[in-house]
Amino acid sequence: MMHSSAFQFTIYAFLVFFTLWTGTLSCSVKYGEKPSAICEKRLFVPDIYPDYTDISIPPNIAPLNFVVKEAAEKVYLKITGSHEGEMESFGKDRISFKEKKWKQLVSANQGGSLTFSLFTKQEGCWIAWQDFSVQVENSPIDPYLVYRLIEPGYEKWHIVGIYQRSLENFEETPVIRNDMTGYGCINCHSFCNGDPEQFLFHMRAANDGTYIIREGEIEKLRTKTDRTISNLVYPYWHPSGKYITASVNDTHQFFHAVKDKKMEVFDMESDVVIYDVENQTILSRASLLTKDAFETFPSFSPDGQWLYFCTTPATTMPEKYEQIRYHLCRMAFDENKGILHMPIDTLVHADSVSTSFPRISPDGHFLMYTETAYGQFPIWHKDAEICMIDLKTGSQMDMSAVNSQDTESYHSWSSNSRWVVISSRRDNGLYTLPYIAYIDEQGKPSKPFLLPQKYPDFYDYLLYSYNIPELARGKIQTNPYQIQHVSTKGQAEQIKFK
Amino acid sequence: MYLYKQIRFVKLYFYAGGFPPFMQNTTSRYIIPFFLTFTVGTFLYFEINYRYWSYFMEQYGLFLYKPAYFIRFLKQPGGLSGYMAEFLTQFFCLPYMASLIFSLLIGGSSWLFYLFVKRCGGKIFLPLILLPAGMFWIFPLESIASVVAIFISLVLVNGYTWIRQPVGRYIAGTIGITFAYYLFAPSYLFITLLLSIYEFSIHSKRKYLTGFCWLVYSLLLPLISLRFFYILPVREVFFSRHLFHPEFSIPTSFYWIWFSFSSIAIVLRLMGNIRVSFLKEKYLYPFSWIVLVGFICLALMYGKNPLEQAYRYDYYARSEQWDKIVEHALQNGVKDLSSQRYVNLALSYEGRLNDCLFSFQQSGLEGLIPSDPKTRLELIQASEVAWHLNHTNSSQRFAFVGVLSAERCIQPRLMKRLIETYLVNEEYRLAEKYIKILESSLFYKEWAQSQRSVLDPEIADSVAWIRQKRGWNPVHDNIYDLTKAFPVSLAYLLDDHPENKPAFDYAMVYVLLYKDFQTFMYYMEQLKEAGNSFPVLYQEALCLYFAAIHRDPETFRSYPIDTKVYERFRTFLTSVNRLSPEAIYEQYGDTYYYYAQFVTTPKELF
Repeated sequence: MMHSSAFQFTIYAFLVFFTLWTGTLSCSVKYGEKPSAICEKRLFVPDIYPDYTDISIPPNIAPLNFVVKEAAEKVYLKITGSHEGEMESFGKDRISFKEKKWKQLVSANQGGSLTFSLFTKQEGCWIAWQDFSVQVENSPIDPYLVYRLIEPGYEKWHIVGIYQRSLENFEETPVIRNDMTGYGCINCHSFCNGDPEQFLFHMRAANDGTYIIREGEIEKLRTKTDRTISNLVYPYWHPSGKYITASVNDTHQFFHAVKDKKMEVFDMESDVVIYDVENQTILSRASLLTKDAFETFPSFSPDGQWLYFCTTPATTMPEKYEQIRYHLCRMAFDENKGILHMPIDTLVHADSVSTSFPRISPDGHFLMYTETAYGQFPIWHKDAEICMIDLKTGSQMDMSAVNSQDTESYHSWSSNSRWVVISSRRDNGLYTLPYIAYIDEQGKPSKPFLLPQKYPDFYDYLLYSYNIPELARGKIQTNPYQIQHVSTKGQAEQIKFK
Repeated sequence: MYLYKQIRFVKLYFYAGGFPPFMQNTTSRYIIPFFLTFTVGTFLYFEINYRYWSYFMEQYGLFLYKPAYFIRFLKQPGGLSGYMAEFLTQFFCLPYMASLIFSLLIGGSSWLFYLFVKRCGGKIFLPLILLPAGMFWIFPLESIASVVAIFISLVLVNGYTWIRQPVGRYIAGTIGITFAYYLFAPSYLFITLLLSIYEFSIHSKRKYLTGFCWLVYSLLLPLISLRFFYILPVREVFFSRHLFHPEFSIPTSFYWIWFSFSSIAIVLRLMGNIRVSFLKEKYLYPFSWIVLVGFICLALMYGKNPLEQAYRYDYYARSEQWDKIVEHALQNGVKDLSSQRYVNLALSYEGRLNDCLFSFQQSGLEGLIPSDPKTRLELIQASEVAWHLNHTNSSQRFAFVGVLSAERCIQPRLMKRLIETYLVNEEYRLAEKYIKILESSLFYKEWAQSQRSVLDPEIADSVAWIRQKRGWNPVHDNIYDLTKAFPVSLAYLLDDHPENKPAFDYAMVYVLLYKDFQTFMYYMEQLKEAGNSFPVLYQEALCLYFAAIHRDPETFRSYPIDTKVYERFRTFLTSVNRLSPEAIYEQYGDTYYYYAQFVTTPKELF
């Protein structure tokens, strides 16, 4: 009897505990109430997070769920399409759309706009806010965004992973995570023309090497040669897929003592090389190995005929870290012979600014790059901004619409040249998040919007930065376990310098 | 009234020399008190030896009252035990709660294991039944998740033994193993073993088949999940990520504890078949009590957590009880480098660094600040020291890295420090981000809410501590790392703000510990010109300097040396050759000239 009652007591105690503890979770409550009468009309748009007011969106974007930051007991939203359709949504302090309905409404209004009418209920009284509109463009964005999630920390990393996120819904899956490969650093993923089956990334520390994935085949390479100063670092594929250009860098860092500055990453030395993917060799005739200049951040033009890179005369580092400024230059590249041709054209002369991350739109029309006061690592510079040159006219475009008071750094073009994803710290000054902006045919940018999430307060609790957001034309099919297998079991092949 | 009657009823029985009705069987007379004693012993053991370790552990989790946080846990095998562990761990910040939770879970597990052994028909040999749960005394816990998982597994296993219908039992067993895998991994392996043992114990008809099927199922389940549900390291798919820090190897204690339950269950079941006189209850129960009481006494007397002092000081530092650190260190001495850093920091906070420095053994730079902070405690200490020295950026940096050292990159104590540094550096949006996270917790919510008002720049500027910290923030930038280039970094701080007393004290202590008189005299000149007072430590160093290195009586006289200090130094000089080393230490061990003369200079780290 004792046995039985003691056991029952244990079970009841456990159930009580379980109930109490699950009770701590806030339950989702339905707030399906429409405004019956409007007490007040506000003549300004409501404060919502993320800020989706007056933006342009691609027709294939995931629902723009958001939090209403105005004081409210309940919220009600009505979206009206300029072409056809409407949609309603309710919530306590947030709006979450049903994916299917959202897709129907957005695709029905391509080339038109959606008008958002928001109402909030406060102390039993409904308030109508100024409507805001969202332009639905005709051009879709590449369906996947591939990024590294990393703590924006100083010298230590914890869990680092490269992930792919469908922009058409909220699915995020890992491409590879460092907890599967010995907790080394994983970085610098790069696609060939946004092809999800042709990309590379590096691993450092544990299972180190450069991993090149082509049509399901994974190569693990040791890329430091006796003629180069380091492993391959910042890579970029030639559009033919035959070459990869990359910088080789002797990178260091230090920490600032004064407020407004956190850390500085600098090169003691750097060069640019071109790697022949088929022959596993670095081409000496197409490499810029100079002691009197630092070269970095190379990229190819979409036609493959030009190599763009950033360069500056060599100087003593870190003593002159504030004086170093990188020009943006280019050289002709002969794809058949694997040779770089002089002369070097200087596109942006670094008189008072320093350039980095040159990226040309796939249609060859625009050159987007990052500009900062000095140095080659704009991620830690608040003044870093996105700039763009019209390559047909050579004129600078007005990019004030995409820039903010905080750091803007990396950027990636969609394959149709109409969309860019920009890394920005505008949300809080430290955590880098991906913003999507439309660039019209004349190069005029629209206001960027933050990558939508299922839970709109997701970013409030996120302690990772989105690093190197790269748009991809499809989902990477290579299984993380395949990469893990090659990484942990495979031998790295040594590349040669030819 | 009812309760009163019951108590009277019980009293009457005791007065009559017998047991009340509910204590007239063996279970109630011996076994329940036995397990209660073990639970109380567990409470005392953890309270005495692991109280401060528990406070420290509490910082490496942050239970958030958010549905998304719950869902995130459930997305991984064993997530619910991790979630429950974090829920319970949040209470560790309250006095006695950690020991209470530990003792209830460990005591409860031992009781449930006893019930299981009884259901299996095993021998009720109490010391052996206690052994698996008792192992938690021997092996310190990284996370409470392990105890939670074992406790819940034993609840499930006991529930299983009450199902009489074999088919119903097999179905329940299979569901239980599956449930245990997804919610409480790795307890599914544990449950499989115990269920198989039970089936063998009751001589079930299909015992071989069910045992084999469950074993295969348990091994296949993670592999199937790996294929279809999870993208995780193989270790985490089998063993979950919540029991230990995933970057470290699984401790051997895990295998000892988890497999001891099944091994002991088998042994006791086999013992159940033996009929020998010395295993009779009348011998066993007194013997069990002797073993238990002896074990508790030995554990309480000799069980020690080697880092208890460091964790104690860490707790005092966290709650800004600097006087308690000094008081405890003066009474008990300093046992390790980690404690020494806190003692020096506490002395500085208390304004006694110059007076009491040599009351404790010193170890150079490492006793002041960790030179290359890597461990959890070192990162906290580096951040604390940097904060005290008014090097806000360094404090922020080490706090940030310290937060990353937590398994889920969340560390509320250092997040509070981050908020403070962000407020000092006017990074309000970042401060708000962390405030919002802390607001979703139970015990940090109030503090976080109190910081919200400071997010207004005007209000922030009127807060005394923020204004003071801002006033001492470095003005001139430099590239020197506070921990790797300590003296240079301090020199920059002092160039900007010579009145930064903590930095000045630390700088002087550093140069004196390394016997760098040239730098020391440079700062003494400044101190003299500023007309500031000279602590005894500096006076002793000046006496030594002008007596042994630079004989310049006129300059010496320009320093305000107290007569007592000077006379004591003179006595030291005259008596040093005739006194024994012990006597010299006894009389002058607390002076700088003793340190300079008899203690080896620490090795320069840079």
